[in-house]
Amino acid sequence: MAEKKGFPMPLEVEYPKELEGWEEMYPPMYMFSKDRKEWEEKHFWFHDKIHAPEAMYPLDLIFHEAWQIALAQYTTRVFCIPPAQGIAQRMVGCYMYITPIAPPPPEIIGEKAGHFQKRVFYIFDHYDELWGTWLKKFKALGEEMNNIKVPGEFPKFEPDDTVFPEPRGYYTSYEVIDAWDRLVNLMIKGWQYHFQYLNLAYLAYLLFADICRKLFPGLSESTIGKLVAGAYVQMFRPEEELCRLARLAAAVPAVSKVLKSDIPAEKKMESLRMTAEGNDWLVEYEKSKDPWFFVSCGSGWFHYEGSWTTKLEIPFGYLKGDIERVEKGEKIERDVPSIDKARAELAEEYRKLIKTDEDRKSFDDTYRAVRTIYKYAEDHLFWVEHWFHTIWFDKVREFGRLLVKSGMLKGVDDIYLFNRFEVPLIMEDMATTWALGEGVPSMFQYWQAKAEKRKKILDAAKKWNPIPALGTPPEEVAEPFTVMLWGITTEKVQDWLKGMAVVPGEVTELKGFASSAGVVEGKVRVVKRLEEITKIEQGEILVCPTTNPAWAPIFTKIKASITDIGGLTSHAAIVCREYGVPSVTGTGIATNVLKTGDTVKVDGNTGIVKILKRA
Amino acid sequence: MPYTLWFDRAGKEALALVGGKNASLGELIRAGIPVPAGFSVTTDAYLEFITGSLKDKILRVLSRTDLQDVASLEEASRVIRQVMAQTPFSQKMEEEIASNYEALAKVFDTSDLPVAVRSSATAEDLPGASFAGQQDTFLWIQGIENVLEKIKHCMSSLFTPRAISYRVKMGFPHEKVLISVGVQKIVDARAAGVMFTLNPLNGDPSRVVIEGNWGLGETVVAGLCNPDKFVVDKVTMVVEREISLKGTECIFDPKRREVVHADIPPDRREIQCIEDQEVLELARYARKIEDYYGCPQDIEWAIDKQKPFPFNIYMVQSRPETVWSQKRKEPILGKKSVYEMLMEKALLTVKIGS
Repeated sequence: MAEKKGFPMPLEVEYPKELEGWEEMYPPMYMFSKDRKEWEEKHFWFHDKIHAPEAMYPLDLIFHEAWQIALAQYTTRVFCIPPAQGIAQRMVGCYMYITPIAPPPPEIIGEKAGHFQKRVFYIFDHYDELWGTWLKKFKALGEEMNNIKVPGEFPKFEPDDTVFPEPRGYYTSYEVIDAWDRLVNLMIKGWQYHFQYLNLAYLAYLLFADICRKLFPGLSESTIGKLVAGAYVQMFRPEEELCRLARLAAAVPAVSKVLKSDIPAEKKMESLRMTAEGNDWLVEYEKSKDPWFFVSCGSGWFHYEGSWTTKLEIPFGYLKGDIERVEKGEKIERDVPSIDKARAELAEEYRKLIKTDEDRKSFDDTYRAVRTIYKYAEDHLFWVEHWFHTIWFDKVREFGRLLVKSGMLKGVDDIYLFNRFEVPLIMEDMATTWALGEGVPSMFQYWQAKAEKRKKILDAAKKWNPIPALGTPPEEVAEPFTVMLWGITTEKVQDWLKGMAVVPGEVTELKGFASSAGVVEGKVRVVKRLEEITKIEQGEILVCPTTNPAWAPIFTKIKASITDIGGLTSHAAIVCREYGVPSVTGTGIATNVLKTGDTVKVDGNTGIVKILKRA
Repeated sequence: MPYTLWFDRAGKEALALVGGKNASLGELIRAGIPVPAGFSVTTDAYLEFITGSLKDKILRVLSRTDLQDVASLEEASRVIRQVMAQTPFSQKMEEEIASNYEALAKVFDTSDLPVAVRSSATAEDLPGASFAGQQDTFLWIQGIENVLEKIKHCMSSLFTPRAISYRVKMGFPHEKVLISVGVQKIVDARAAGVMFTLNPLNGDPSRVVIEGNWGLGETVVAGLCNPDKFVVDKVTMVVEREISLKGTECIFDPKRREVVHADIPPDRREIQCIEDQEVLELARYARKIEDYYGCPQDIEWAIDKQKPFPFNIYMVQSRPETVWSQKRKEPILGKKSVYEMLMEKALLTVKIGS
């Protein structure tokens, strides 16, 4: 049966020799196994190019471990979306694959329906006050993580104040072990909060989309997205803060001169510190920084992406451009009120086309419901994937520095080469060695050798092109995320099947979701790795596995975007609509087929990308 | 008792005088829609025509006709229509029509302005009337003599066999079923066609669906070609296009001095027959017309060869859409609350695969 459908079974995947040993990098339950073969082969596993487009560093898997549990439990055990179950994960040669699990037996569906009705309706009724308490709770969680104290080193002797007037009773060894455990637990908890309302927000969106399509069968997905999308999305705040700082700087020549210069960001800060005006500006900069510059330079899912607080060149680069534009008299801010007004007018125009009062009421009621709760889907992104993750990465690096200082690892970021269950082993080795006294050897060679080997495996994995899917394509999917976020539809599965036989040079046209309207022609820039994002030049068309809102400022540079994966509410689609940049998402194969310099025509109205000229 | 009325003087209140089609043109003009100029020959003119010297002749023919016998009925129809064609209008009527035609021609600096002559029925449910509407459209008629002849031809369409037998069966006196005729400047069309203010395939009220072909609109109306198709979102004005391979167009042949069906030259067959800006302008008119009438419309349009955009776009006909408009009185979504709908949605699974 599998052969007929065309995707290999999980255990049939062949790995390049250079990947040997990849399995030991991840927790054992992430492996496909003979024991679970029957269940695993019944399911359809696809590479999660949205959240894990790249080879996975073991410690970065923690977010996925956390969401696998959290996303599913809200669907299966908390809000009980009747026919839906969770999304399971597996690793395949350093890449993460996921599957929506088949629906439960009918009697369970019935039982869940009772809970769903009671619980979900309550949430919809009380959503406004619930969002406020969620945000408060989540900010407190982030603060708690930020306040975790990681010892900078193991002291030769514990200081007096830990002994007098009364011995504290626990010392650096425990502090390190405890701090790591708390850090990990807070991350897991943060992701439990992450999904508190997200499943319901997506469900509301799907309901509204259904109603729109019943009333207006030809309504495009991108228009539905536009109707729902809010203008006051917190993910845009980092950029808004930059605009504010750019305007402040532009008004003070002493400051703008420094910020426009070509010296490194650190030097700019130093130089600003030397003048009164510069210091005033830096005070404003600090005000914006927490929380708004706790934003990843990428998606927030990878430690190496860095944030605006660690990769200062990124925000300072944007600032330079913004100041120059301000000085030319250009407008740098998004016109939020008019975006919001345009959305309201759009809704009103369609509303007027509805023929009966009853239908108009249904439209109004659902629209109100989705507009209320969908804000959650838009705003949680900043707080969890960016703010919270940035705090996490900063804390983990404190541990990384401690491990380097103690001679356990060579590089600070080498900690990311070990999964969250392995890191405590290194911590314990480190603490034990310290406790045992002078001249006691640790296992540092063992850890360092492992780190070196894993770096090589990951490098090899980055060069390997994993196949899009494994196992048996399902007949139906009830899981709202699968449809909404990953855009898994019948056509998508078919395209992947086709894509496996595709010779990239022979493709002349790509098809995807018409995610943001507009038609443009231009040269493409293929960005497979997030670091390459800085190479993008004015007027190019961005081609990437998936985009992120944190790339927002580059959307003023590009003419259009094309992604491999992502539905209509994927991050890329939302931002492109905001910026009025045409976008085709979920093409499946764009990064394989297109090469930087190719000329294409992107039609964001139909979802078709035509290749006009090869580079 | 006017024999003629200019289109812009007679809207829906004058339906009994000018018929549905002409009244609708009057309404379009009132709504600010560009409509080619023209006038109606009124039902009063028709009534005078058939109740004058013609009346006795018609009654005589009918009195010796066996209405149950198809051959006899057809013969009667043929004779009556021939007599009508040979009978002149009263001098006064003829002069009025002629002076209107001259005035119309003068606007365009010519004496033999090409016009379309069409019947305009006063009652939609009369078979004679609706058949007349379909059959009796004469395109590119030039000169008053020809115009008068075609007007008479349109009038005599109320004496087709089917129309006669229907009136007799229903007990309607012949002089109680009336017809008007429209005389309208023809649009020398580069392209023309029809459009609906909803998607006729699925009833989607947020779309304007435009179908067009090169030349006069008759090929599209009669379904003689694969037209180019444009689906326009009324709100975002985003256009989806389907450009067809177009084989035949309806054009005026100056040598034969008549409208002919001609093969479209290969270099134009696959070319979009109306420009994007024209598509959008048409869609805007569609919305305006629908708003004016307050119900979905089925509209004929034409794009003038000579004039510059946007002055080249004309509406030549608009009538209510009937299929979906009937269905749309019922709510599509039923009367469910958000929660009921949410529950339904939550219980659904999304089909994937074959």
